[in-house]
Amino acid sequence: MTLADRIESFRVTLEEWLRGLYHGMFTHPAYEKIEQEAEDTEDAFMLACFPDAFGIPSPVSYYTAELLPYLEDEFSAWERRMWDRQSIVERKGHQYHF
Amino acid sequence: MTDFVFFGGKGGVGKTTVSSAYALECATVGEETLVVSTDPAHSTTDVFGQQFSDEPQSVEGYDGLSAMEIDPEEEVQDHLLDLKRQLNSQLSAAMVNEVDIQLEMAHQTPGAYEAALFDRFVDVMQNAEAYDRVVFDTSPTGSTLRLLALPELLEQWIDRLMAKRRRSIDLYEKAAIGNQEPRRVMDGDPVLARLQGRKERFEFAGDVLREQAAFYLVLNPDELSIRETRRSVETLTEAELPVRGLVVNRLTPEPDPDEEGRGARYLRDRVATERDRLDRIDDEFDVPVVATIETRVEEVRGSILDDVATELEIAGPSADLLNEQVSPDES
Repeated sequence: MTLADRIESFRVTLEEWLRGLYHGMFTHPAYEKIEQEAEDTEDAFMLACFPDAFGIPSPVSYYTAELLPYLEDEFSAWERRMWDRQSIVERKGHQYHF
Repeated sequence: MTDFVFFGGKGGVGKTTVSSAYALECATVGEETLVVSTDPAHSTTDVFGQQFSDEPQSVEGYDGLSAMEIDPEEEVQDHLLDLKRQLNSQLSAAMVNEVDIQLEMAHQTPGAYEAALFDRFVDVMQNAEAYDRVVFDTSPTGSTLRLLALPELLEQWIDRLMAKRRRSIDLYEKAAIGNQEPRRVMDGDPVLARLQGRKERFEFAGDVLREQAAFYLVLNPDELSIRETRRSVETLTEAELPVRGLVVNRLTPEPDPDEEGRGARYLRDRVATERDRLDRIDDEFDVPVVATIETRVEEVRGSILDDVATELEIAGPSADLLNEQVSPDES
């Protein structure tokens, strides 16, 4: 292996590490934060669509039931999140990796 | 343009009779008329002595008159089955059960009947070009009024839902940093499309109800029915669907002046009380009484229906006709 090759491979590794570090420290948390916010909004949407899942009758649940075939991912994710959620602090705390 | 006429009122006051007679009258003056009954007991079948289904069918023996009967229970079941079929074809088996429970629940909420009925009403309204006049014989007061006040309320609901959905999709799109695939995309989102479709339907219904529809309430000359009618008038007016007129049904016939005896005295007393109540109705309601119908000994059907039809003089939504009718009453 020539010196030039070794420098090249070192640079590649370093770049990957740096990108990983940058992603881990900045982009990923940001991505996560926004996505969690999106999930929260989606939860609110799901709750507004299917409040009868919690025993609250809704005037439109007959109509929103029509959305169910399109909401497969959302529905299961929503249910999972609803089960997981201990408190709002716990949920919001997820994004900080202490 | 098709005119829509709704007859409402407490249960058992004779809505079916009045609306059938009204439809008959419209058909007699040469208008293509359709009677739509939403009473699960299906009294139009009894009135015309003919079996009707949930598709318009012409009434035998009368030209230009058709009738159909909507069964809310059946509508709800159809809707449920339809959705289940869609679910089975689109969802993974594991989710079907989960979502099934949700579906069942949605179809057992108190509003399901109304929603199903409303859906059918909109269907009828959308496919009414063949008729000059569509007469709705609605189910008893409570549910019907909620039903007709629905469009406004539902439009707002759907608006809010759509706003929420848009915001979360927007966030998902923003969360997709760089060349990552966002978890949801705004373009062609089936949920938004579905909601939009619903919204347009509600808007259509709202427009038609405000512009092409007339509402009449049927009542009997008794306290309960008057009170219920007052509530209905208020609810409808609040929903910006003013009531055009009241039809007082089942008035007691007056005995001949020379008749004496218990029966005649009883009838005379009754007539007097009813006259009081009629006066009160005239005084207390802003809505004019457009017709009074005497009670019949037999069930109203066949030739008696024709008689009732002639007693009935209600104009449809076309305002000029209505004014002619109303002014003598008010003077």
